[in-house]
Amino acid sequence: MNMNLKIRNTLAEIIGALIAMVWMWFKLNETSIMTIESVSKILAQGIGISIILIIALHIVFNILSSIITGKYEKDIDDERDKIYELYSLQLSSAIFGISLVITLILLGWFNLTINTGLIAITFSGFIASIVSLFLKIYLYRY
Amino acid sequence: MFKKKIHIENSVRRLRFNNDEMTQEQLADLVGISRQTVVAIEKYKYTPSLELAFKIALAFNKEIQEVFFINQ
Repeated sequence: MNMNLKIRNTLAEIIGALIAMVWMWFKLNETSIMTIESVSKILAQGIGISIILIIALHIVFNILSSIITGKYEKDIDDERDKIYELYSLQLSSAIFGISLVITLILLGWFNLTINTGLIAITFSGFIASIVSLFLKIYLYRY
Repeated sequence: MFKKKIHIENSVRRLRFNNDEMTQEQLADLVGISRQTVVAIEKYKYTPSLELAFKIALAFNKEIQEVFFINQ
């Protein structure tokens, strides 16, 4: 598979977000009493973990690629990258916006607890980001 | 009539070879884009902006219509 720098970095972001989501899921399941404090702590830690993981995976992927190909690839952001970034941002905003409204409706009319609402909003942010990153890969590949 | 989608094609690949077999990397450096964008333009997968199209034409010392044209 011909994988350029942009696709590699996007894959790093997807993997980082997925690992953080799985970590949060397990942590939330482990918690016996779900208070707003404990849930908020786990979600904030999960977001932090995803950021650190994405940075670390960027570095690892680029080092591995340099070792395998034997050459350094410059990271240039041109107009094509900006357009694809915009498409991906539009998609993630739409997904996040829709899930936010659904969560608010569930909170307001269907007795969803505030903790579940918080979890739903955070996870929908991650899912929106992952879906938009897949769109970016699709645009770069096809 | 003009609402119909048009397919813009280009002769970037041919012009590169006619210019001392210029590499995609060299053209990318000349106009300030990534090599992958040159690849996408040559495969007609990406249509560049007017500004970038002019830059590419200038890199080959050609008029824009000699580089980018509509496939009727």
